[in-house]
Amino acid sequence: MKKLRLDAIAFIVILGGLGLANLLNFNKPTVSALENRMLKARPSLTWESLFSGDYFRDYEDYYSDTFLNRDSIVKICRDIKDSLSLNEPGVTLVVTREQNAPVNQVPEATPTQPPQPSTPRPSTSPGDLPETQEPPETGMTPEPTPTPTAEPPREFGDDETVAYYLIVDGKAVQLFKFSREGMDYYAEVLNKYHEVLGDKVTLYSVIPPTNSEFVKLRKYADITDSQNDAMDYLRSRLDPGIVTVNVYDALNRHKDEYIYFKTDHHWTALGAYYGYCAFMDATGMEPVPLDRYETAKVEGYLGSSYTKTLNKELEKNPDTIYLYLPFTNHEYIMYSGNKAKTADLIDMSYAEGSSDKYLIFMSTGGATWSVIKTDVHNGKKILVMKDSFGNAWVPFLLPHYEEIYVVDARFYSKSSTGLNIPQFIEKYGIQELVFLFYMEDVNWTKFMNGVENHLN
Amino acid sequence: MVFSSLVFLCIFLPVSLFLYFVIKDRTWRNWVLIISSLVFYAWGEPVWITAMIFSGVFDYFNGLMVEKYRGTRKAKAFVALSAVGNLLLLGIFKYSGFFVENINTLFGLSLNVPRISLPIGISFYTFQTISYVVDVYRGEVKAQRSLLKFMLFVSLFHQLVAGPIVRYSDIAAEIEHRRVTAAGFSEGVSRFITGLGKKVLIANTAGELALNFLGNDYERLPVTGAWLGILLYAFQIYFDFSGYSDMAIGLGRMYGFTYKENFDYPYISKSITEFWRRWHISLGTFFRDYLYIPLGGNRRHLVRNLLAVWFLTGLWHGASWNFIIWGLYYFVFVLIEKLFLKKLLDRLPSVFSRLYTLLVVLIGWVFFYHTDMSQGLRFLGVMFGKAYAFTNSEVSILFRSNVIFIVIAAIASTPLAVRLFTAIKNYFQDNRARVAFIDNVFKPVINILILVLSLAFLVGQSYNPFLYFRF
Repeated sequence: MKKLRLDAIAFIVILGGLGLANLLNFNKPTVSALENRMLKARPSLTWESLFSGDYFRDYEDYYSDTFLNRDSIVKICRDIKDSLSLNEPGVTLVVTREQNAPVNQVPEATPTQPPQPSTPRPSTSPGDLPETQEPPETGMTPEPTPTPTAEPPREFGDDETVAYYLIVDGKAVQLFKFSREGMDYYAEVLNKYHEVLGDKVTLYSVIPPTNSEFVKLRKYADITDSQNDAMDYLRSRLDPGIVTVNVYDALNRHKDEYIYFKTDHHWTALGAYYGYCAFMDATGMEPVPLDRYETAKVEGYLGSSYTKTLNKELEKNPDTIYLYLPFTNHEYIMYSGNKAKTADLIDMSYAEGSSDKYLIFMSTGGATWSVIKTDVHNGKKILVMKDSFGNAWVPFLLPHYEEIYVVDARFYSKSSTGLNIPQFIEKYGIQELVFLFYMEDVNWTKFMNGVENHLN
Repeated sequence: MVFSSLVFLCIFLPVSLFLYFVIKDRTWRNWVLIISSLVFYAWGEPVWITAMIFSGVFDYFNGLMVEKYRGTRKAKAFVALSAVGNLLLLGIFKYSGFFVENINTLFGLSLNVPRISLPIGISFYTFQTISYVVDVYRGEVKAQRSLLKFMLFVSLFHQLVAGPIVRYSDIAAEIEHRRVTAAGFSEGVSRFITGLGKKVLIANTAGELALNFLGNDYERLPVTGAWLGILLYAFQIYFDFSGYSDMAIGLGRMYGFTYKENFDYPYISKSITEFWRRWHISLGTFFRDYLYIPLGGNRRHLVRNLLAVWFLTGLWHGASWNFIIWGLYYFVFVLIEKLFLKKLLDRLPSVFSRLYTLLVVLIGWVFFYHTDMSQGLRFLGVMFGKAYAFTNSEVSILFRSNVIFIVIAAIASTPLAVRLFTAIKNYFQDNRARVAFIDNVFKPVINILILVLSLAFLVGQSYNPFLYFRF
């Protein structure tokens, strides 16, 4: 074996070297700060996992997830791909695909990692790929979600979800794809709640649109469907007994203000404030003026749209989070499983480090359920069933209610409270129920199925 | 395991190569290779490795029997036994679900549809062992007396999971005696890197892009999107499969085996007949030598013979009607080319015959992709104008983001780069130092770049399915 050519020598050295280096790298990372996700852990070897082939599949995922210098390699790949683009500067379309997290998942009692805020929801499901397309490694299959026994099984799309992001002028916009099926189902679920709860409880439908509706998309305006039309459509489907809160117009009046993050799919606290004003409008209450609040700000926020697209324009253009600090005396108690703890509604411990800074709002908002008790002794009790958009919105309710109950539709579980939502409402004497889900969740049947399941 | 995985590249391959070259003893080397292969296979198929071992032992025995009873009827019986046994194996694992489903539909029954997962590579190794027994019967090779050596042929991890379909006769000599030279090893590495780059850099990227256009309900797919989508899919499937073949051939050379070529720039073909001489060559020649010619070839029952070949070619690609239709679609074109079209095409300027071939092949991929036929027909409709729009912003942005990639993929589908290389070398042919520089520095440096880029992209992309993996 003399006279090996240059590339043959490099081949042996590089592959063998990488193999050894990874072997000797004992401090394997468990979290990717760049992508804001847990990395695959080393699988445990059992006879079962060995024979099913899961062990090998998981091991491969684990190996590439914890590969030496993975984060910087991922960035280099992004730069190479970007450099091949011939689009006008500042415009990129990024399509992301990910495995769906199980809905109705009970968060662990002591999460080592804060629960993820609602991930931007996919608009289209890719449909059934033919058998031959299927990756041989279909690693993560989500746990089966508990489904009600009486109901016939209903299909809720694929395990994989797809989202389209248009990045224009340093702002990430998730494109909205209207789904009639999704809209009809949202209305169906809310109407069911109305039927079960009757007129004792006032129901509100509060739907924050995403920023695709308000950001100037240059010549690409046709790329996203109208969420305003979707809301009109919904209005015609919802039982007239349910109060539809017009968040859209309230936001639209202020569309040039900083109401959405550029690098994250959520609304800002300011956007949430306008959403709160719309709600006040619907209830006939007087909104508290914004200047009543003391403010704080957190700079250098790169949110979910950045972690999903790793777009350079976004990276150069981080967000600032403006916070409005509650002035009403209150106590915020989060129940996770059977454990209760008090927390800060504006939790600055999430402002530091590389964690997702949106988790500041309601200290992740990821409890099984939580309650805010205020010193407003007016006897009014409200339940907000929400996704992560609610986290920035709920704190504005403090001056108006004595008790504010908060349930995240993804994390609530009957198994830890023993109550379904109607029973929950009964037990705590709640008079008003707000559904606050942002448009992508409204449009997503799998999410709404989770909401429906809380009836049982 | 697949070749384009970090575990294979950084752990399996270095260890296997190290052991193989540290050990000098021929028998022990064979053991290293066979154990490597079993580990490689069990990594993806821990249970049904038994089916592969069964198929190997079964045909080892059949081969011996055929030789023992050479010239008698018994020899023929053992050939039949081998064919029936292997096809039964293939039938049970690959086609039983499909078969029962069709019986149910046909007779309105509701028999239990067996759901058996397809063992990796079964379509390849069953064909390989059948061809061995037939070749022994025809006297083209001697039966292998050593079970170890025969299992080496069957389980050889280079071509086990995705071909090419290597015939025993091709490597019989190398199984007994092979020499690995530094030059041969270097060639193997170079070839492997080419394949890895094709798979990781081009096929995976094209596949990810194609997903934006394929597989949904097509209500919002514009005409341009459909064409872009199927073009990307054509790139994906070609670079995927030919990349895998390149890697197999490259690995073979590293270990001292020479496999035949499996692809020869199919997308530059000037007719469908030519396309199939350039695409998945080992499958085409298998059907030619073991089915078409024994049936009578061109001389007797031409139409029947062609029909059988194309029906089975389609069915081989998957247990679903769309693959059968895809095969029959090619039957139609091959037949009319044989009858008159080929003569016509030969007279046309080559740009027309190339366009015709590409068009037929692209439409073929629509059938190949869509297991759901009605979805496939909708897609065809979109391609030819039955769409909500001619184009939209999504397509134009995605196109412009990736147009350079598409051009690179298109060039890589042709022999342009290779010809350029040869032209440069010819230009410098009088200057031996320059030619040596090109061969020993320039080309290797490009290879190293491709290797490093591929590794980076493998780390960067979790998405890495192999299309032909389940065949």
